[in-house]
Amino acid sequence: MSVAELKERHVAASDTVNSLRERLKQKRASLLDTDVAGYARSQGKTPVTFGPTDLVCCRTLQGHTGKVYSLDWTSEKNRIVSASQDGRLIVWNALTSQKTHAIKLPCAWVMTCAFSPTGQSVACGGLDSVCSIFNLNSLCDKDGNLPVSRTLSGHKGYVSSCQYVPDEDTHLISGSGDQTCVLWDITTGLRTSVFGGEFQSGHTADVVSVSINQSNSRLFVSGSCDTTARLWDTRVASRAVRTFHGHEGDVNVVKFFPDGNRFGTGSDDGTCRLFDIRTGHQLQVYHQPHGDNDIPPVKTIAFSISGRLLFAGYTNGDCYVWDTLLAKVVLNLGSLQNSHEAQISCLGLSADGSALCTGSWDTNLKIWAFGGHRKII
Amino acid sequence: MQSDGSETLSPTTQRLQSFSAADTRGKHRIHAELKRLEQETRFLEEELEQLEKMENASSACKEILKGAETKPDPLLPITHGPLNPFWDRWFEGPQDSKGCRCWIL
Repeated sequence: MSVAELKERHVAASDTVNSLRERLKQKRASLLDTDVAGYARSQGKTPVTFGPTDLVCCRTLQGHTGKVYSLDWTSEKNRIVSASQDGRLIVWNALTSQKTHAIKLPCAWVMTCAFSPTGQSVACGGLDSVCSIFNLNSLCDKDGNLPVSRTLSGHKGYVSSCQYVPDEDTHLISGSGDQTCVLWDITTGLRTSVFGGEFQSGHTADVVSVSINQSNSRLFVSGSCDTTARLWDTRVASRAVRTFHGHEGDVNVVKFFPDGNRFGTGSDDGTCRLFDIRTGHQLQVYHQPHGDNDIPPVKTIAFSISGRLLFAGYTNGDCYVWDTLLAKVVLNLGSLQNSHEAQISCLGLSADGSALCTGSWDTNLKIWAFGGHRKII
Repeated sequence: MQSDGSETLSPTTQRLQSFSAADTRGKHRIHAELKRLEQETRFLEEELEQLEKMENASSACKEILKGAETKPDPLLPITHGPLNPFWDRWFEGPQDSKGCRCWIL
């Protein structure tokens, strides 16, 4: 076949794909008989209301000398690992505010960190395009530094995000600027699977976030600068289970909803969205202007343990607490007393859901908990 | 790795515009692109078929409501029990909120 003929077929195939996408979009729209807020209102639900001293900052973790970019809690109660522009990981006991480890990284340009399920290791990644694993029980070297216990090499671009597969310290999933996600076997240092990339269908721009399903660890979602989120089954690397369209800008963060059947996203378009993994439906858009028609990008999100609250950090320093059911902002942590003095770049809930940790460009981490009167029903 | 696609042009349109009429070196590239589009077509057709039998959004909304309202949540002012006393550990004991302030240099 000649080049000219190939090009003709290419144009025809493009038209087919575009027309199918349009039909899909319309069919999906016809199935959206309600959103979460519409349904909740129809059931007579009313928004969560917080008193002025209900959610309070009860710890400020100081020690980083640069912007905090990432944080992760352990699966047992109280420890946090954080990564900073200062080229270090710090491991904290959030209850006592003590630092248990300060790890100087071989490459200072770190973007992400994660705690292993047993709490014995931490992982990080960044502009060096590798994931570095540190065993917290190792002896320090002669310079007082914790040695790297494993380097996971193979990405052809920066490592933007990483998370351990639950229940084992042996597998990690990373997302990268090379447009792929990778499932790693930490024991061997090898890639078990590559999701997307040059020879497989996948993201068409940088992957900037990943989130693993805690109830079914074979499933994970990825968020990308191609404006989509994708759901993957680790047994099937050749294609995504589903691609979620809707955002109009980079999807900066993805997080599974506590029930494992939905996930949330945050984007450069200033909105958060809730998607259903089984049907692919976009169930809710969380959008509110911040004043003066300002629509700052969403950089980080987290759900409370029941899913009733969605915490979202924006580039203008706001940290909205959304009532997920009614799609209403019920609090702005960014405007509370004792809050951060710069953008909140990362958020995470403790394993029992009793505390929220925020990490900020002001170099601090803060712990927030409910200090008001609790009514049990 | 080359990044395809800009914000405003679809990846396929951009690639098409970069082909010149006499560019026979690009033949394999166009062929690979075509294969990818044909694969995408099959995926999209499958998805359309699935959508014919798909539930409405309201089913999922019902499930979300049920879950979010029954699970105990320590950050909510009103929540289902049981109350766990460990939830309040953040307010017990020495409350040195500044804690360890050593700077790592």
